[in-house]
Order: sequence, then C-alpha cells, then structure tokens
Amino acid sequence: MFGEGLIKGLTITWKSLIGKKITVLYPDEIYSLPDRFHGKFRFDKDACISCGMCVRACPNKVITLETEKVAKKKRILKYEMDIKYCLFCGLCVESCPKDALGYEKDFEMCQYKWEKLPMVFVDEEPLPAEEKERLEEEAKKAAEAKKAAQEAAKAKAAEDASQGKEG
Amino acid sequence: MENLFTNLAGSLRAALESTGLPAILTDTSMTMVKLTAILVFILLNALWLVYMERKVAGYIQFRPGPNRVGPKGLLQTTADIGKLMSKEVVIPKQADKVLFLLAPALVFAPPLMVFAVVPFGENMAAIDMNIGLFYFLAVASLSTVIFWMAGWSSNNKYSLLGGMRVVAQMVSYELPLVLSILGVVMITGTLNISEIVRSQQGIWFIFAQPLAFLIFFIAGVAECNRAPFDLAEGESELVAGPFTEYSGMGFAMFFLAEYASALVISFMCAILFLGGWLAPFGMTFIPGWIWMFLKVYLVMFLIMWIRWTYPRIRVDQLMGFGWKVLVPLSLANIFVTGLVMKIFKMLGW
Amino acid sequence: MLKTQEFTLNMGPQHPATHGVFRLLLHLDGETVVKAEPIMGYLHRGIEKLAESRTYTQVIPYTDRLDYLAAMLNNLGYVQTVEKLMGIEVPERAEYVRVIVSEMSRLASHCLATGAYALDLGAFTGFMFPFREREKLMDMFEMICGSRMTFNYMRIGGVADDLPEEFYPAIKKFLKEFPACVDEYDGLITGNEIFQARTKGVSVLSSKKAIQYGMSGPVLRASGINYDLRKKRPYGVYDKFDFEVPVGENGDCFDRYNCRVLEMRQSHRIIEQALERLQELPEEEPLNAKVPKVIKPPKGEVYHEIEGAKGVLGYNVISDGTVNPYRVHVRRPSFINLSLIDEMCRGWKVADVVAIIGSLDIVLGEVDC
Repeated sequence: MFGEGLIKGLTITWKSLIGKKITVLYPDEIYSLPDRFHGKFRFDKDACISCGMCVRACPNKVITLETEKVAKKKRILKYEMDIKYCLFCGLCVESCPKDALGYEKDFEMCQYKWEKLPMVFVDEEPLPAEEKERLEEEAKKAAEAKKAAQEAAKAKAAEDASQGKEG
Repeated sequence: MENLFTNLAGSLRAALESTGLPAILTDTSMTMVKLTAILVFILLNALWLVYMERKVAGYIQFRPGPNRVGPKGLLQTTADIGKLMSKEVVIPKQADKVLFLLAPALVFAPPLMVFAVVPFGENMAAIDMNIGLFYFLAVASLSTVIFWMAGWSSNNKYSLLGGMRVVAQMVSYELPLVLSILGVVMITGTLNISEIVRSQQGIWFIFAQPLAFLIFFIAGVAECNRAPFDLAEGESELVAGPFTEYSGMGFAMFFLAEYASALVISFMCAILFLGGWLAPFGMTFIPGWIWMFLKVYLVMFLIMWIRWTYPRIRVDQLMGFGWKVLVPLSLANIFVTGLVMKIFKMLGW
Repeated sequence: MLKTQEFTLNMGPQHPATHGVFRLLLHLDGETVVKAEPIMGYLHRGIEKLAESRTYTQVIPYTDRLDYLAAMLNNLGYVQTVEKLMGIEVPERAEYVRVIVSEMSRLASHCLATGAYALDLGAFTGFMFPFREREKLMDMFEMICGSRMTFNYMRIGGVADDLPEEFYPAIKKFLKEFPACVDEYDGLITGNEIFQARTKGVSVLSSKKAIQYGMSGPVLRASGINYDLRKKRPYGVYDKFDFEVPVGENGDCFDRYNCRVLEMRQSHRIIEQALERLQELPEEEPLNAKVPKVIKPPKGEVYHEIEGAKGVLGYNVISDGTVNPYRVHVRRPSFINLSLIDEMCRGWKVADVVAIIGSLDIVLGEVDC
C-alpha cells in the first residue's frame, strides 16, 4: 500500500508531461463556435413584423421596441437590446415567428463606455406629419387602384365567363 | 573546459596580484568577485526556475505554459518581476513596519550564504570550509526566523498561522535532515563538502545510503516549503501563509527565495548523494561542473514533478511523519551504517 | 498555568477554498476548530421572488443560475414540476434527450467537484484532469443549446431543440474515452496515499445524523444509505436504465468524494444506454408535447423532486391560474447539506475545514439562491 499510489500518480503526470497539449492558443487559433452559439444578436429589420413576441418572451425586459403605424403598416422606430441585462437565454430568438432575430458567431460585446452597451439595431425618427399624410394618401390611392384593378379583373372574369357561355 | 572557471579565477587573481595590491586586499576582492558571481548565478537560476516550474506545470496539465513574452515565453519571469517592481508595496496599518519590510530583504540571505561553501565543480567552492556541511545546516535553518518575522509582523491571522506552521515544520524537519547526513559523514569522516564529493569516487552515496537519501530528500523538500509540504503557504487554506499581506517586490522576493532554497537542497542532494561533479560511467569528456548542473536540475525537476502531482499533507500528519517516521528511520540508518562499518572494519576491508 | 486563547478567523467571503462567496467564521484554538459559523447570502439574488413576476417559461433561464454547475438538472426539475402541475405527457424522444443532457450535466458537476476537491487539498494537477473532460462536456452543451453553462434548454413539454447532427460523433468519442479518464483520476487522486490520509476518517457523518438533517445526494449515500431518487422514485424514463447506486461505508470525506467518482461511471453507463435507445426511436417522433402557447396551469400546488448533482432537488410551484407562478420554492440540496457544517468541522484542523467543505460540494449559487 505504502508509496504505490504515490508512484502511480507520478507515472500519470509523467504521461501527461510528455503527452499532447490541448490548450487552444486563443488569438492565434480561433476556436470554432457551433452553429447554435448564443452570441451577439443579429436583427433583420426587413423581416421583422413588429409583433412584439420577443419583447414579451424576454424575462428581463431587455428589448425595447417602438413602432408607429403608417398606412396600416407598422414601422419600427426603435429596436434596442440593453445587453447588460441580457441572460442570453435565447427565448426571444425562439419566439420570433419570422426569424428576424438570430445570433452571430461573435461574443466580443465589451464596450468602453457604459452608454454604448445597449445594442441599437434600429433608431429612426418618426416620420413628419406631411410625409405620413403623403404616404397614407399614396397607400390609399394604391389601395384604391388595387381595388379598382381587382374589380376590373373580376368584371373581366365575369365578362369572360359570360362570353364563354355565349360562345 | 574542465577548469574553465578555476582558470578564470586564477588569472584574475594573478592580474590583481600583478597590480601590486597587498595580499589581504587581493583575497578580499577575490572573495567579493566570487560571491557576486554566485549571487548572479542564483538570481539567474531563480528566474529560470520560475519559468521552468511554470513550463513543467503547464506541460503536466496539458497546457503549453508561458509562451508569449519573448521566444518560447522565456522572458515571462522577467516581465513578471518588472511588473511586481512597479507595484505599490502595501504595508498594513497594524503591521510591525520594521520587521515587515526587513523580512523580504533578508529572505535571500540564508540560501545565498549557503552557496558560499557549495562547490560548483572541482575546486569551485567560493570558500572551501572544512566544516562546510555543518555550516550549511546552521545557516539553512536561519530562514525559519525570517518566515516567522514575515508571519508575525503582518498582523494577519492567516500569516500568523502560516508563520507558526513554518517554525514547527522547519524545526522538526531539521532533525531528520541532520541525522540522515550523519550516515554520510560517518562513512567519509569529514565535514568538508568537497571531500565528501571526492570520497564518492567508488560508489555514489545514493547507492550506499539509499534510505538516507530518501530521508534527506523528503526533509529537504519540507525544509524549503515545497509541495507536498507547502503548509506554510497552504494556498487553499491559508491563502498565502506568511506572504498574504505582501505585495509588489516583497512578494517577489519571497517567491524567488523559495526557488533559491530549493536550489540549495538540490545542490546538497547532488553533492551528498549523487556524486557532485563526478562523471558517471567514466564520461569525463563532459566537464565536472556541467555534470553537477545536470544532477542539480535532475533533482530540481523531481521536486517540481512531485509538487505538481501530490496533494498537500495536513499539519499534524506532517509533524507525525517527521517525528514518528523520519527521525526513527534516520536513527536506524545511523545505527545500521555504524554496524556495517564496524563489521567491515572487523573483516579488515 | 498556561492558558490559550481562542481566536476567530474569517474564512471567506473571498477565500480560495470556499467555492464561491461563502463565509465561515471559525473559532480556532491554535489550528483546531472549536466552532464554525456559516454566514451566507453573499450571492443572494432572490430568484424565488423573481420567478413570481415571470411567466412559467421565463423562469427556466433563472433556474440555470441556481446550481450553475449542473444547470440541466435544474431545468429538468422545474420543467417536470410544471408538467406535473399541468398534467403534460412528454414524448419519449424528449425524455431520452433530457436524460442524456441531464446526466451529462451531472458528469460535468461531478468532474468539477472532483477537480476542485483535489485543488482544495493542494493537488493542482488533480484539478486540471477532470476539467479537461468537463471542457469537452461544455463544448457538447454548446453544440446542443449554444451556451456552456446556463443552458435554458428544457421547455415545458419537451426540449428547445433537437440534438444537432455534430453532437452524436462528439458524445460517442467522449463516451469511449471517459472510463480511461476516470481511471486516471483514480490513479492521480483517489489512490494517492497523501490524499487518503487527508480524507479517510475525516469528519465522519453517521447515517442517522445524515437522515436527521435531511442530507441528500452523494453526501447521504456516502453515509451508507442507498437513497437515489432515480431508483427509489423514478421520474421521466429513469426506470428503464440499468445502473447501480454507489454507496459509501464510513461517511467520511473520502467516501463522499469516492461516491462522486463512482457515480460518474454510472452516469456514463446511463448516457450510453439512453443514446442507444434514442437512436432506435424513429426520427419523426415529436420532441415536444402539445402545449398551449400561453402556459396557464390550473390552480393548485405541486411539489416534485429529482436527483440533482448535489442531492435531492425539489421544486414547489403554486399556481393561481394566471400566467405567472404564485410562488416558486426550491429545495436546494447544497443549502441543506451545509446545515451540519458546524458540527462536522468541530475538532478538526483548519486544513480539514477545507476538505470538509469540498467534500460537501456546495455551489453558492444554490446555497444563496
């Protein structure tokens, strides 16, 4: 008993002494991140439908979403993640119905200044009133035009059908 | 090659004498030069040993060890020391300032003083004292006082506990250390270190006195507070023992002194048991001082290897091991050595 | 007459060996402990209270932060509690995935416990060996759920995502290598005479006392009581696996440590079996039970416990019929295992205190909650 375990320990450390090293020398070798890595967030503004699911899913109220309604469409004014409160739990990404939220393989989110910590994805001014009106007008016109076109198409279809009957 | 350093010293002495200096001044300046050379040697070795320790530790733990500063990380220790020098030395409010500052300044002294009598090769001892071994034992135990100074003056309970442990440990391991050497002294009949090496021409004492070597090695490791006997530092229980309150260069001094005293023990192992500068298997084409160096580093590596393998022993077990195992064993060793010597004498060998 | 004076020593909150911000006020007579007062709460975040203002799903990431070394098990305990409350039947495939990840989590936790115990006793290299395997486990967790420690992988009614393709070769390689690694720990740590001298016979916890104080997990089993919820009251699909429950004899530090090492081997067996069964199941089988989008359990209270890495991990969830739980209470094994620390430390040396805390394997995230 005596000394046997001590010698065995020494043989094990000797093996590891001459064995392979497993450290990843970080800045020189980049450790490949898996696909599901919870890193920096990616936000696709065009895909977002401003449903607010992510805001509701977040346990820590990290996400701020502000929208305005222009011509029956929601327009994102602000999409901000206060990353210092983020748990990186992934519930927001999971809840997104349009895959507008996702991850990037980047984990370097340090900032020197406190104010720079929140991740601002969208920060736009609300549209001025005239512009809004103009857009609404346009949308209305477009809608009317569409409606007219639809009606015309309908009428045409009906006509075609009646003609077909006649013919 | 063999006499490189002795020749150097000889020519320096001749040069000094040719300037017409009085003999006493020549002697003094020669001694000074030698001691400075030793100091540089120890400091360089301590620096290297810190690096080596970290490399060995790293390799054992699947890591590459320091590899950023300088080629292969060789300048890591230098950079660390530079950093530590630039740090503020924090003195605790309730500390005994004089002792607190004196301890790191003195901690290098005992190993340095021991090296005065250590022969680095044939005729390469700075002072070839005829009671060299006795001097080594006397001086080496001085560091107890310094550790106690550090532990007491910090006015920190962890430091105090660490200091108490150092004293208890060093005092109780001094005994087996001395007793284990006695066997060697009995065989050689001399306390002169160079003589002891020369008398190992026939057989190294590690073969003649294996038990004594084991006891000396264990007690030596305990003397220089290395794992598994690093109770004084006892990182996981006592934070850093007597060094808890030290910062900056004070800490660095303790750190380097640890390696210096480990070096002393390695040298002593090599000299007393591994045949010092004597070449094994008649390989005399390699100079003696290189052999010496190789043997020292072999022992040093063994100490490191053990440190990075074993857990720490508990304080009462340490005492028990020292007094109940090592001391009786070393006494038995002396007895057996004496008996065998007597028998040999009776047989007329 | 020579008189000695007791003195107090603050071990922690910042101390290398207290495994986090745990403070132990030691009354010492020389090096011998006369009394040890545990003082905790330095990591209290009020998770139980936080849970009351979160929806049922949103509580899951918070349970990760209880015992952050075995977060999957915390997930599992909470999720199963809510499922019990709502009466949800989880698909078999999800159950096997859950078993795999939670046993991996147990392995990771025990790896850390083993390594940190070696470190507590001064063997730094013994710390690195189990960490090597833990690192591999964490890499696999990262593949599964994107995080290394705070997974948030389980969902009410199933799991968040299927196991990825690249996971299977990784775990197979790991399972092949792991027994040899445990042998290495045995050689380097368990078999070491100094280690045994430090741990054998230290702070013996009798089986009676262990039951009286509600100890659980390896701490209880080391005292010779064969009580493992996976066997005694199987939850999930644990009744379908063939494994043993390692039991100690003396209830000393060594047994507590050794129980964990032996449990690692058993966890390894469970993962192997679960992986086999999982691959036998058809791919098309669903991973999630049919759960309403908004989780509103019926009014009521439920208590459910599982065998966590540190002991019996119980969740008590009270629902008032709204989307938020009315009350969530966690029976944290680390906290309860710590309750006897004073008695266990008395009469031992300072160095043993470190060994005792290490053998209890506490996680401060769980103690303070």
